[in-house]
Amino acid sequence: MTIEKLNKRAGIFFFLPAGIVIIGIIVYPLLFSLVTSFTSYGFLNPFFNQFLWFENYGTIFHDIYFWNSLWVIFKFVFVVVTLEFLLGFSVALLLNRKIKGKGIFYTILTIPMVMAPVAVALIWRVFLHPELGIANYFLSLFKIRPVNWLGSSKVAFWTVVMVDIWQQVSFMILILLAGLVSLPSDPYEAAAIDGASTIQRFLYITLPLMKPVIVVAVLLRTIFGFRTFDLVYILTRGGPGVTTDVMSYYIYRRTFMGLSLAESSAASYILLLINMIVVVFLYRALRMQREVE
Amino acid sequence: MVMKTRSVKKTRILADAATYILLSIFSLIILLPVIWIIRLSFTTKYIAYQVPPVWFFKPILDNYRSLFIDYGFERFFFNSIVVAIVATVIAIPLAFFAAYAFNRFNTGGRSLQFGILGLQMLPPIVLSIPIFVLMKTMNLLNTRGGLIASYLSFNLPFLIWMLMGFLDGIPRELEEAAMIDGASRLQSVIRIVFPLATPGVMAAGILSFILCWNEFLFALMLTAEKTSTVPIALAAMQTERGVMLGTLAAAMCFAIIPMLVLSIAIQKYMIRGLTFGALK
Repeated sequence: MTIEKLNKRAGIFFFLPAGIVIIGIIVYPLLFSLVTSFTSYGFLNPFFNQFLWFENYGTIFHDIYFWNSLWVIFKFVFVVVTLEFLLGFSVALLLNRKIKGKGIFYTILTIPMVMAPVAVALIWRVFLHPELGIANYFLSLFKIRPVNWLGSSKVAFWTVVMVDIWQQVSFMILILLAGLVSLPSDPYEAAAIDGASTIQRFLYITLPLMKPVIVVAVLLRTIFGFRTFDLVYILTRGGPGVTTDVMSYYIYRRTFMGLSLAESSAASYILLLINMIVVVFLYRALRMQREVE
Repeated sequence: MVMKTRSVKKTRILADAATYILLSIFSLIILLPVIWIIRLSFTTKYIAYQVPPVWFFKPILDNYRSLFIDYGFERFFFNSIVVAIVATVIAIPLAFFAAYAFNRFNTGGRSLQFGILGLQMLPPIVLSIPIFVLMKTMNLLNTRGGLIASYLSFNLPFLIWMLMGFLDGIPRELEEAAMIDGASRLQSVIRIVFPLATPGVMAAGILSFILCWNEFLFALMLTAEKTSTVPIALAAMQTERGVMLGTLAAAMCFAIIPMLVLSIAIQKYMIRGLTFGALK
């Protein structure tokens, strides 16, 4: 037997245990869900006896709450990713300066990253309580009237955005800072000789060199943004009305309150499709990065 | 010339001062809510609800006592620890072997490797619904085993990608030398490669533990009462009528502080963890 063949066999041998588990716990459930989305399978009727083609998808597309959740999650992801990127990049640039005590700031930044989103949401719920919360008390010191953070349909969405930024901006900072630290120093030395200003250096050296890292950071945050569930579950339960009814929460309540498994499977496959488009962009970015290396 | 260097120095000092001020404000915004919750966990009911807040008071441990005596919190704490540890310990050898196959033999090529990364990127709601249905048909709802199995769905792909990055740094020559000396490939992987990768495996294991500890959606669907984990217990305490703020705060401290301690241990590996080893 050739070495190539032996290696191939060894590879399969080592991959197999993980492969079996992955098929059992990920691939099989995914296929189950896909089949379910084309049938009348439900909690009350757990059989695959009726093949409905795209009927469930049609039902979903006629559901105004589906379109609402789609709009809410797109708006949410767009807003949080943009703000987290802008804020995160600014803080990363500050941290990249030669200053003392960087380690302390860095440690503080990792705190929200490892906290359970449920705990984060609860902390803010306590904070933002209309009468008992400390947030409105702070506002009152500045003579600002109390805000109904989670109960007002105009404010609740932005409250969830704020809490998400509080927790996730660290993600952007840490990744962008890692990118900044590993930038080569020669272009900056050349620019210093040429007398380039700080703004010029940022625009013509830092930004282009950082582009691959920025793309990866933004795409990863986008993928995680589409997952948002825990925050909404604790803070607003999709309300008031359906103003914060992000897609994951919409699918969740359709499954357990609407009891229509087939339809919620169809909805979850639509979310999966959106997610996959972003993931394809991420692959391209990662591949480009590998080729650069 | 002297004038110029002096003005450069001056702007330098000003910029540094601005940097410190901005970073300090930013750090305070992150720290204050956490400190506030720790403070709350030591207050009496009367002080907890007081607005404007009192800054100095005699700390009490009643909330922690009530957490265990009235709420039986130790059960959820125990569940979380068991689930997170077992899910991690099962996943590590599986992931290590798979990462080894990918790294050394390029098994399945790029498409399989990226396919597995794609599985890690799935929105949990997509996977949790069919897993819920399947666990139900297998009578595994409300069992720790069922929850542990479901956690493999995210920590296994995660660990595979993390460990692939670490294996890059371990030269092939070492295991090849062992094989020339008569060891089988499996022996040389277990006896030589795995021990060399221990620091990376530890870091990846801790990150996997944190992921499992913080997980909410699967636990929400697959567990109830006796098998609930800490995040589910927190969510349940919040919805209870007349919740004691101090007790809730104490419970949150139990959910957060162990992870903060762990995060300091793996700070060096944080970037890899956040990007699945894509950035180092």
